[in-house]
Amino acid sequence: MEKYEALAEMVIKGDPEPVREATAKLLAAGEDPLALINEGLIKGINEVGRRFKAGDMFVPEMMRSALAMKAGLAVVKPLMEGKDVPTAGRVVIGTVKGDLHDIGKNLVVMMLESSGFTVVDLGVDTPVDAFVHAVREHSPGVVGMSALLTTTMPVMKQVIDALEKENLRHTLKVVVGGAPVSPEFAREVGADAYAADAVAASEICREFCG
Amino acid sequence: MNRTCRHGPGLALRTLGAEQIERIHRTSCRILNEVGVLVHHDEAAALLQAAGAYTDTAGRTYLPDALIEWAIARAPGRITVYNRLGQAALLLEGSNVHFGTGSDTLFFLDPRTGERRPWSTPDVAAAVRLVDALPQLDFVMSMGFMDDVDRRLVNRRQYALMVQNTVKPAVVIAADRATVEDIAAMAAAVAGGPEILRHRPLFVLYCEPTSPLQLPFESLDKLLLAAERKIPVNFACGALAGASTPVTPAGTVAQANAEALAGLVVHQLKNPGAPFLYGYGNSPLDMRTMQAVYAVPEALLLQGSLCDLARYYGLPSWGYAGCGSAKTFDAQAVVEATMFTLTGALCGCNLMHDVFYLESGRTGSLELLVLTDEVISRVRYLLRGMDTSDEYLALAAVRRVGPGGNFLGDEHTARHFRESWQPTLSDFNGYEAWMAEGGVGIGTRIGEKIARLQATHQPPALSPEVQGAIDAVLDRAAAGLT
Repeated sequence: MEKYEALAEMVIKGDPEPVREATAKLLAAGEDPLALINEGLIKGINEVGRRFKAGDMFVPEMMRSALAMKAGLAVVKPLMEGKDVPTAGRVVIGTVKGDLHDIGKNLVVMMLESSGFTVVDLGVDTPVDAFVHAVREHSPGVVGMSALLTTTMPVMKQVIDALEKENLRHTLKVVVGGAPVSPEFAREVGADAYAADAVAASEICREFCG
Repeated sequence: MNRTCRHGPGLALRTLGAEQIERIHRTSCRILNEVGVLVHHDEAAALLQAAGAYTDTAGRTYLPDALIEWAIARAPGRITVYNRLGQAALLLEGSNVHFGTGSDTLFFLDPRTGERRPWSTPDVAAAVRLVDALPQLDFVMSMGFMDDVDRRLVNRRQYALMVQNTVKPAVVIAADRATVEDIAAMAAAVAGGPEILRHRPLFVLYCEPTSPLQLPFESLDKLLLAAERKIPVNFACGALAGASTPVTPAGTVAQANAEALAGLVVHQLKNPGAPFLYGYGNSPLDMRTMQAVYAVPEALLLQGSLCDLARYYGLPSWGYAGCGSAKTFDAQAVVEATMFTLTGALCGCNLMHDVFYLESGRTGSLELLVLTDEVISRVRYLLRGMDTSDEYLALAAVRRVGPGGNFLGDEHTARHFRESWQPTLSDFNGYEAWMAEGGVGIGTRIGEKIARLQATHQPPALSPEVQGAIDAVLDRAAAGLT
């Protein structure tokens, strides 16, 4: 277990390069990929989440840790041979069409990844079709949409309508967020939940994917 | 030209030294030369390229120093904005200070019930009337994002409500070019025609980049229209230091300045000499709560810097006052709002918005608005500074009263005591007199003042013709919805 603990510690430290190297070395030594993920990478990121909640770690440190974990995962993934990488759930997320703001959404992505979710990030200015397409391809438990501009908020409803039309809406939950979005607005457009911030978003996703 | 902050003989604050200003300016130029911006608008991109900017295959546009300096030299050093009575109301120049509300808060903190709830159209109308009644508030922004109006029409309805409920000038937010055109049509009806409006603007348009270093289509489209119509306009980065700009205040200034200058260049290329308002803000990302926090010392430092930079460039300045991140009208709200108001004024920021913002702009408080009205009055007294003329040094009065006398009965006291600063809300009674008047705190007095003003204050009405023209614009916009 000690070797995994060292890996977890590197994830907590938030340096991608040592994590990449240590992961490769462990795999070369014949360690089980799944155990490496669970006992090393995810264990590390879970500790980061705990420390963040306790106020002992801050967002930029958590961001670095998430990058470090992903660096390790990238090395392991090719060896999983079709086996699913353990995940807390799959989330498709994007900033809606017409909106270039991505910081809030990126914070949510970081929180989700730090909580063990697999995230498909569609980026900014995401067309309605791109959401539908991604849902078809990845079968997520949750679709997350973000908007900062009051003028782009109506696109959220268009996405939900499109999912409805394609008969995909019942397969997943829709969570919306962003500075001008409110719980009332979420209800109005037919979303399942409103997330006030990144921490709330990850808790809601955990509930929906549980 | 004198570029330092001056309020005559009064108080003024300098944030940056001459060398620091140069360093920031050069860094901003290097950002625009070496890092570049993304220009999401064909006409704007073509204007920049024709003027010597270089666009690489990845779509980044790089601005040469000469073009930046050209735009700075073209833009006017002062802007006058008029009220709807045709009077010059905002003199945006030098170190003059003006204050107004913020726009589009989602929640209204109802002063009668204390409830935090979405805004209705009557709420916004009443709030704007209150701004009209408060003497220290110089302009209005929309205050609330109404919940009872089709989202696509909110900006137009907000302008109609502002122009109906106050004579004071407005700063407007608009979703797109068509919205600005409709707002300008309403303003033209008030002003007496589009030509008069062009000559005597009634409103300022707020535009913004998407940081870092992106110039979005809608913003540029509005910016170009504003240049064409000579509508005073800003291009104000709302920095989230640590996320959308560097975490350090100086890094944030350098990048926000680069973004503002990029907007200025596009704007001046479209119409050299059109009025441009220079400024930006910073609400750093709190690394524990992930909230954008307003009115922190870093934000005040940034505002002082931009005021010095604005005077260095010879441009009127845009900033913030009277706002914060408190969730309710409490001591935190007063600390944040008052510090911002005081330092903004001392730094000589020409146009300060967001008075009445709580919760980093999600909630609006009329109580904070009314309190800040008195804070501004205190601040304006300070800005006047010390009068050291013979009459005010009062040697003659001291001679008359002499050792052991008192000044109460002297003619000098009678002549000048009314010039002393007087409160509109603060209580100067002794304890017993205060108790005899009910012993109530300032919160209660503010609530009473709001109720009284809202019950009695009525701004002059628009003529039926003007009202009809505004209704026609709104009806046409509503009919155009699909």
